[in-house]
Amino acid sequence: MTRPTTTGSFCGRTRREFFWETGAGFTGLALTGLLSADGFFDRPAQAATGKGAFLNPMAPKPPHFPAKAKSVIFLFMYGGPSQVDTFDYKPKLYPMDGKTISIKTFGRGGHKNEGRVVGPKWKFKQYGQCGKYVSDLFPHIGECVDDIAFIHSMYAESPIHGSAMLMMNSGRILSGHPCLGSWVTYGLGSINENLPGFVVMLDKTGGPISGPKNWSSGYMPAAYQGVVVRASGTPIHNLQLPPGMTREAQRQLLDRLREKNEEHLASRADNSELSARIASYELAYKMQQYAPEAVDFSKETAKTLTLYGIDQPRTRDFGQKCLLARRLVERGVRFIQIYSGGAHNDDNWDAHTDMVKNHSKHAGDTDKPIAGLLKDLKQRGLLDSTIVVWGGEFGRQPTAEYAVGTGRDHNSYGFTMWMAGGGIKGGVSVGATDELGNNAVENRFHVKNLHATILTQLGLDPNRLSYFYGGLDQKLVGVEGADPIHQII
Amino acid sequence: MRIARLVCLALVLGLVSTALPQAAEKEPTFTPEQIGFYEKDVLPILKENCFKCHADKKARGGLKLDSRAAILKGGDLGPAVLFDKLDDSPLLKAIHYKDGLEMPPSGKLPAAQLDTLVKWVKMGLPTTPAKEQISKSDEHGKLEITEADRNWWAYLPPRQPTVPTVKNPAWLSTPIDAFVLSRLEEKGLTPNPQADRVTLVRRLYYDLLGLPPTPDQVDAFVQDKRPDAYERLVDTLLASPAYGEKWGRHWLDLVRFAETNGYERDGPKPYAWRFRDYVIRSLNADKPYDQFIREQLAGDELPGEDADRIIATGYYRLGLWDDEPVDPKLARADEIDDWVTTTGQVFLAMTMNCARCHDHKKDPIPQSDYYRLVAFFEDVKHFSNSRDPRSMANLTDITPPEQRKLYEEEAKRREIRKAELAAAMRKIEDEVIKRMSAEDQRAAEGIDRPTVIRRMRGYFQGNEQETYVKLRNERNQLDRVQIPYQQMALSVNNCLRNPPDTHVMIRGNPHALGPKVEPGFPTVLGAATPKIPKPSHSARTSGRRSVLADWIASRDNPLTARVMANRLWQYHFGRGLVATANDFGKLGELPTHPELLDWLAVEFARDWSLKRMHRLIVTSSVYRLASTGQSQALTVDPGNSLYWRYSMRRLTAEEVRDSMLAVSGQLNRRMEGPGIYPTIPPEVLAGQSRPGEGWGKSPPEEQARRSVYVHVKRSLIVPILQTHDLADTDSSCAVRYTTTVPTQALGLLNGEFSQEQADAFARRLTEEGGELTEQVRRVICLTTGRQPGEDEVQKDVAFVRSLEQKNNLDARTALKLYCLLALNSNEFMYLD
Repeated sequence: MTRPTTTGSFCGRTRREFFWETGAGFTGLALTGLLSADGFFDRPAQAATGKGAFLNPMAPKPPHFPAKAKSVIFLFMYGGPSQVDTFDYKPKLYPMDGKTISIKTFGRGGHKNEGRVVGPKWKFKQYGQCGKYVSDLFPHIGECVDDIAFIHSMYAESPIHGSAMLMMNSGRILSGHPCLGSWVTYGLGSINENLPGFVVMLDKTGGPISGPKNWSSGYMPAAYQGVVVRASGTPIHNLQLPPGMTREAQRQLLDRLREKNEEHLASRADNSELSARIASYELAYKMQQYAPEAVDFSKETAKTLTLYGIDQPRTRDFGQKCLLARRLVERGVRFIQIYSGGAHNDDNWDAHTDMVKNHSKHAGDTDKPIAGLLKDLKQRGLLDSTIVVWGGEFGRQPTAEYAVGTGRDHNSYGFTMWMAGGGIKGGVSVGATDELGNNAVENRFHVKNLHATILTQLGLDPNRLSYFYGGLDQKLVGVEGADPIHQII
Repeated sequence: MRIARLVCLALVLGLVSTALPQAAEKEPTFTPEQIGFYEKDVLPILKENCFKCHADKKARGGLKLDSRAAILKGGDLGPAVLFDKLDDSPLLKAIHYKDGLEMPPSGKLPAAQLDTLVKWVKMGLPTTPAKEQISKSDEHGKLEITEADRNWWAYLPPRQPTVPTVKNPAWLSTPIDAFVLSRLEEKGLTPNPQADRVTLVRRLYYDLLGLPPTPDQVDAFVQDKRPDAYERLVDTLLASPAYGEKWGRHWLDLVRFAETNGYERDGPKPYAWRFRDYVIRSLNADKPYDQFIREQLAGDELPGEDADRIIATGYYRLGLWDDEPVDPKLARADEIDDWVTTTGQVFLAMTMNCARCHDHKKDPIPQSDYYRLVAFFEDVKHFSNSRDPRSMANLTDITPPEQRKLYEEEAKRREIRKAELAAAMRKIEDEVIKRMSAEDQRAAEGIDRPTVIRRMRGYFQGNEQETYVKLRNERNQLDRVQIPYQQMALSVNNCLRNPPDTHVMIRGNPHALGPKVEPGFPTVLGAATPKIPKPSHSARTSGRRSVLADWIASRDNPLTARVMANRLWQYHFGRGLVATANDFGKLGELPTHPELLDWLAVEFARDWSLKRMHRLIVTSSVYRLASTGQSQALTVDPGNSLYWRYSMRRLTAEEVRDSMLAVSGQLNRRMEGPGIYPTIPPEVLAGQSRPGEGWGKSPPEEQARRSVYVHVKRSLIVPILQTHDLADTDSSCAVRYTTTVPTQALGLLNGEFSQEQADAFARRLTEEGGELTEQVRRVICLTTGRQPGEDEVQKDVAFVRSLEQKNNLDARTALKLYCLLALNSNEFMYLD
């Protein structure tokens, strides 16, 4: 048995976590026997040698099997984009516009058995070699369809924002579980210790509902929670020197601090936490230098900036975030989540009243930057190792929410998400909703299947990646497990 | 209703089937044609769509489909096919996506395949004869509790063991030491020498109060030459109200204390702070632990009029609550699960929660035991059934009787006024409605009157509208503004005298009910079936929770005293004798010192006094050991599991923040009351969908109160507390992590809070006067407790001067940076 303060392990909740600490990381059957062997716990602490290595919970860890992808960029269309107006072409729905039909729906407005059809508000065109139909909302993404796998048969457990956001981010409708980005960084660590491994970029209008719960590490250590990064100005909170502090003065302060800490350590050399803490100050110092460089676009060419739409006022904000995402991927950041849409109502994709007004705005703000990101990643050879995910916490209904207007209520029975890169097949579409686009009926995929696909591409076995908590080997995909979407990998 | 798919096949159907196993049915013989049909037409469909989860070693929902016998035996929902009621057969329902059953989950089979399967079922399920074997290993279910299970160390009553003899009895200060020393001697290890007095006084202050000693307090102890100086200090500290603030926070970690509900709105729980104050008060009063348990689990059922007993039942109200649940039945089941999980882990260190969907995989806890525990809690109503976080079920009026009279008068006055207002409004309404359409007039006579009233605009005449709005505003104001003098507590209230029946939920699914169960204790512990007294006519609860509380808070319960004794040890030594303090089962750790744990448990249960146990533990020799390393011991026992030294620890999140406030001279020791809101930087608030929502503004002196008083908002945690590993708010936290990451360093160097504290610290020093040398000495004393050597002081003085010169800073700024350095130092952040 080891003790937290001398091994740097987190809390000694279980022997499995000690094992995690050694870098081996995962609970496998073969390892469990090893763990119970006394020898393991009597192993001399590495820190007994004095200046132990920095026990970084983000230290890189090998995947379960060779990985196709190294990073993930999750473009979160918060609020829930409508599938029938974006990528799920339903020609039969147009002529039904205005007709009241019998249809089972469940959204914010509760369970309903009939509704007035709102025909799709945009025309669809075929794009690419694969001839994928894409709505006129996304002319630029349309150009990239041969790199994209569309999943039209997604379904989730809740059509209510609060629990649905948690579902998409953490696989559960209950709060308190670690998010996808936490699982990825827990499983793989980060190869760049100067930047956070799990980065979140928020919409300019604000965070999504439940705020930080959407990038929380739940029952895992706080080290695995997402760090909010801004694409302009000071990228990370507390990175900027406080007023009156200069880099030189700080260096001088840190030098004296290290001297004092080392004097303190001298008689406590076996405590690796102390040396880890000394090291953490040097890392912090380096982060201050290194992180701003990541958001410094001055060395990007005008052509690149144009590609992302940064030269246009409308697309500048999201374009900067997409470009920053690419730069973070280049620097080894594991998991980047960018929110399109924030706050409430029409500040995000939650089009309850007017489809055209809402989706034109959000698609218009993001279409070019997203296409730019895909093209840029591809031309730099990064798309092969980067998974790009697009989608919201659910989709929308084919019918209207209110007696008047074109707004659609939430729909978790069926919706579309897409993925590109990182070993995901391009130019394919899997699954289908019914002909109204309401229910996923063919090759249905739960959110857990999406999560399983992402983990698999990163070299992590979704049914094996576990964290022991509350008496259970907790998994992102739950105790029942889930398979990846084989059709697209 | 759509079912959350935490459950696979096993859904919805009422469990007609469990009662009627079809074993009696004669094994029919099938024609070669029928078998051929199975093999050619049916089997490919099954293989393609079902066998992945329902054949060979996989039996999701307990169901296998690879033999006729297996299908008829069925799974958690009972037989998959019911020949006498084909339409009720789970298999057929599932493939037709009926009643929430949806198989295969990837999508409904094409019609032709469905027809084939239906034909096959109607044919009587012909299958290949060779497959008609069910091996014993396929038998699912029935967990049997064996003698070995009952003899698991944690389930046997603790017995006071003989205190071991040791080679060096002179070392012993308490019986505890004998247990520790005998193990060390066995391994040939010698305990460290005693820590010096400065170390001891700092250790005691932090462990018992969570605060650093002032230099005067250090001096007083160091100078105290009386032989019992240490014991006197212990008694002084245990009598300090700060003790409850420190140890209360440990308890709050365990009972997942938070003051908001989580989810989209994450709105405040009314008066949750009273629970926090109750815990602090109880610990300061050294309330016996058995009473503490009874009050939290069933305070409302205890006799007498003590507000604290009501406040204590806030225990049930601290968890998550979704105000727009996607599935209300599931939300209710989750709420009770929170109580079962927390109660099981906190009081009994049993992971009962693992038996919600199936028998516990490792511990002898059958699924029915989980639901027997659920049954104790059924009388507690749901947190709130509307979107309003205040409900008749979660608030109780705890106003003292003398005050109650005052507000009852006020309430009466208001009722009268409200009746007057309503009459006046009604008069106007009636006038206005007469001008509306005939349909509206008719509707206004019935239950739709409020709807009609909402449409009155446009029909008002003269000053009617103005008058009406004025009346309405006054009425709303009366509803909104709380009656003065009234005191409310977050609690349970209006519980059910006759709770609904409790059923096992198959695969944990609230829509798939299994057999009915009665309240009962975990079977493995062998307690008699509890007798629940019939509640009296005037009773406002079922009386079940007292029965549970009495059983838990009993000396006969093998777990209760052990679990708490272990926690006390853990919070003093950094690790419990059982490292997994919430899990004494097979997935947990074994005790390192089982006899010591038993000895402590028996000792504790004598009078359930926590303070007596603290005194016993901290006056032991083992508690007073120095933390330094020894090469031999580091080799034999690097993890210090034998306690040859005191294990250093980092300050906890609250200690970090409180200590900074203390040394900077800002700490406000005011106790109790609603939570405080330290300023959270806009960059952090930006993560909220409405930045700043739910986070108030406290004046600076309020912000400087101890961290235990910081409002606990589930979705917004004060950064310095979060980065230093505050407990997760959503479930019971038995052991906190200690992480070391650069973001902590960034926060402590550049963050607003540490900048402010460094500044205040420098201001304090300036006000206290003296030369720089004196100030430097003072900084070291305040942040480390020790008197620095002259050499160290000179070096630091030189550093400040050089900082000043090289960076062209004024003396005050340089001093502030030196204070910042001190607040960042390992010596400040770690305890020897």
